[in-house]
Amino acid sequence: MLLYIVKRILIFIPTLFLISILAFVISVNSPADPVEQLTRAASMEGGVEDKNSAENSIKNEIRKKLGLDLPLFYMSLASWADCDTLHLIPEKKSRENLSRLVKKYGNWQNVQNYNHQLIQFHNLVKTTEYTTEQLEISTDLSFLVLNLQQINQHESINQNFVEINNKIQIINNSSLQIAFQEVKKSYEYLVNHSGGIQRFLPKLKINGLQNQYHLWLFGDIGLDEKRGKNGVLMGDFGNSYSDNQPIIQKIGSKFFYSFILVMLSIFISYLVSIPLGIYAAYKKDQKFDRISSVLVFMLYSLPGYFVGTILLYWFANPDNFVWFPIGGVKDASIYQENWSVFQKISHQAPYFVLPLITYTYSSFAFISRMIRGSMVEVLQQDYIRTARAKGLSEKRVILVHALRNSLLPIITMIADIFPAALGGSVILETIFSIPGLGLEIYTAVISTDIPMIVAVFTLTGLLTVVGYLVSDILYAIVDPRITIK
Amino acid sequence: MNEFNFKKYAWSKFKQNKPALWSFRILIAIILIALFSPFIANEQPLYVNWEGNKLYPAFNTLTTKSKTDSIWLNNSKKWEVIYYDRIDWRSVSADFKLFAPIAYSAEFNDTYNRDFIAPWDNQRYKNDKGEITSVPWYLKHWLGTDKIGRDVAAGLVHGAKISMFIGLISIVLAGSIGLLLGTVAGFFGDNTIKISRIQKVMIWIFVVLGYFFSFETSGYIITETFESGNNTLGFIYFFTAIIFWIFIVFLGYKIGSILHFIPYLNHKKFLKVDSLISRIIELLNSLPTLILIITVAAIMNERSLTVLILIIGLTSWTGIARFMRAEMMRIRNLEYIQTAKVMGFGYRKILWKHAFPNAVPPVFVSLAFGVAGAVLVESGLSFLGIGVPDEMVTWGSLLSLGRQEFEASWLVIFPGLAIFTTITIFNLIGEGLRDALDPRLKKNNE
Repeated sequence: MLLYIVKRILIFIPTLFLISILAFVISVNSPADPVEQLTRAASMEGGVEDKNSAENSIKNEIRKKLGLDLPLFYMSLASWADCDTLHLIPEKKSRENLSRLVKKYGNWQNVQNYNHQLIQFHNLVKTTEYTTEQLEISTDLSFLVLNLQQINQHESINQNFVEINNKIQIINNSSLQIAFQEVKKSYEYLVNHSGGIQRFLPKLKINGLQNQYHLWLFGDIGLDEKRGKNGVLMGDFGNSYSDNQPIIQKIGSKFFYSFILVMLSIFISYLVSIPLGIYAAYKKDQKFDRISSVLVFMLYSLPGYFVGTILLYWFANPDNFVWFPIGGVKDASIYQENWSVFQKISHQAPYFVLPLITYTYSSFAFISRMIRGSMVEVLQQDYIRTARAKGLSEKRVILVHALRNSLLPIITMIADIFPAALGGSVILETIFSIPGLGLEIYTAVISTDIPMIVAVFTLTGLLTVVGYLVSDILYAIVDPRITIK
Repeated sequence: MNEFNFKKYAWSKFKQNKPALWSFRILIAIILIALFSPFIANEQPLYVNWEGNKLYPAFNTLTTKSKTDSIWLNNSKKWEVIYYDRIDWRSVSADFKLFAPIAYSAEFNDTYNRDFIAPWDNQRYKNDKGEITSVPWYLKHWLGTDKIGRDVAAGLVHGAKISMFIGLISIVLAGSIGLLLGTVAGFFGDNTIKISRIQKVMIWIFVVLGYFFSFETSGYIITETFESGNNTLGFIYFFTAIIFWIFIVFLGYKIGSILHFIPYLNHKKFLKVDSLISRIIELLNSLPTLILIITVAAIMNERSLTVLILIIGLTSWTGIARFMRAEMMRIRNLEYIQTAKVMGFGYRKILWKHAFPNAVPPVFVSLAFGVAGAVLVESGLSFLGIGVPDEMVTWGSLLSLGRQEFEASWLVIFPGLAIFTTITIFNLIGEGLRDALDPRLKKNNE
């Protein structure tokens, strides 16, 4: 038994590892630049006076904290043509662009040369003095050069060159002309001298503990340079892009209502569906069974958001009935924190009726079908016939002898229902505007708040895995035959 | 002699199940509607006779890229240039116009019927004399309009196309992965395939090498194709890269067998295929699928149907694989397979000729349920506005419009019923297939 539990837990670890890797890959591959997003969030929070220098220092601080100056993973696979210090380039866009150029032409030296020329040219454009009529053209020029650092398609680069050339012709400055020719020359050199065989030779590089994933997962533990981060394992998911608050605090405050709703709905659906399933199995192929089967089947096929919207349309609509509030969990104008528990519950109860109905009905259909199936199977067993032959009352046979064994599949369902309810809560909490985790995911998705999405993904993954673990262990306790296999 | 034919038997069994049979008929109808949607809901008429010119605008706009056409009007004695994307056929004074059953397409904004016109409301249009009057029956918005005057019935037709496309294609993807892995896991188990030490090592090395060659060195081509907006070509490149990867791994396996002359390297052990695949299934099962889909959809730069199909397909194959695995394990131990082995048939022949055809039919049951699940996920995502592109009209997006405007009950009820019907028919077909194809399951379930 103990061996079985230990085995299950050992299987559970790689799953968690996979979830963490997936979450990390998602957060790295997201289109948003974390430094830009967090800087914006930070500057929105406190009014920054001296814009440029303050922003730069904040940016550096954020980069340091996120570990963006470190390589991505414990090891990296690259070709010999690739550059292994590319992650040191601060701007995400130009970094990605350079790496694309290296992949394309397979020669880091030339790419570096081109980039160097480009930066020099950009500085020159910025520092040259212009007459007032040239000023407008020079801002255009500066913009074009900046854009050049973010594109890698041959055609668009050439087009950009032509436009820059036109602008320089108008400005008529010889030093700009020369610098631009240098840029052009280095680009042509890059295109014409693409790297040879070395771009097809793989190079495995071990980065050790000094990497972003390690920092993300474990925080400062094992790192040479302390960055004041606790790591995901300790619940540090970083700060939200939208308001710069720590993610874990935001989730903590949102978790309550989601948890209450999911738990209540699971409880109610079990409460209703177990008797229903048993009775339907007892009256198998009779009228009650057939009608309830059809009804349950229909309910099972009804999407939750449809039912939720219909309920709102019918019962929370001034045109029909205003029995229940349209959304939310409390009326902020009446609700007071110092109310007694009873008062709070009686105030909030109407807000929960429609969401609970919507949450409950589909799992209710699922469970009652399952219970009916397993009950029917149990009722055909020999020991039930024996119990009947002994002259036990039908009530006792069903409720004592048969029920116990027919409840077995319920345990496995616990694991399935919990993540499904959490996932479903995204849609339902949006419909009923319940300030829970689901609504939080929705707003995070709409505002591309990547750390929030990643945190929710990781946490639900963890919960799901724990759910499976618990149900496996429970099952093994109830049905010891499992452990032998 | 009356030969027993399983297909005929299953079909006759399926036909006895009236709800399933009717669902199947409705499904065919929905698929036909989806396929012929340009001729069912279109603001371009099917046929116009305009002063001696016979025009087929619905066909023309479908087949040709050019959006203009010029015709000679006999009576008015002048050339008329038709801009198909701008012309309002309702106010054209042609001799004869045959409109589609729903005289609007899903994206068409009817400026005269904006702001949630109900099916029973007075709907207006500009007729060929330039007056704004009530619409004749053939120009009615049968199921009303939304805020910007888009026809709900046309939206339902378009939504059917998208739901069917996503549901069926993603299940084809999930089904092929699931069938392949489930078959391999169930048929070979943990103690059939033998592999030598060097082959094992080589496979691992070449998995990494294959990744390097197909994604590290030339992966930028795939990214670039996707960035240029050509998704189809991008996916073709992507799958080519994966096939190339598999090929390289196979190459590694072959190279490994060359080195077999060294006894130490040739030491053979069982390859635990079943354990490996079961572990992968277990891993994927413990991921929160819906949250994963939402997450991936959220970080995508651009929303597209292909991405949605790919996510749904890649996350929903586990059930099919599990089912197939169990089925194969059962069949593997049946006497006729044992006999075939004893008679000296090769594994390949036993697998494809004797085991696989018997294992496949019950899997159709989970395929049918899988489509229902995929449709549910798709409509849920588009209800939230996450899955499909914003401008695309789907059942879910129509329903979410209805949620914002409670007056417009037709925007809630009709799309909701469409989703409900589709899911119900797939579930009923699944039940019918279960009864017809797998009598054992039926017995267990009742």
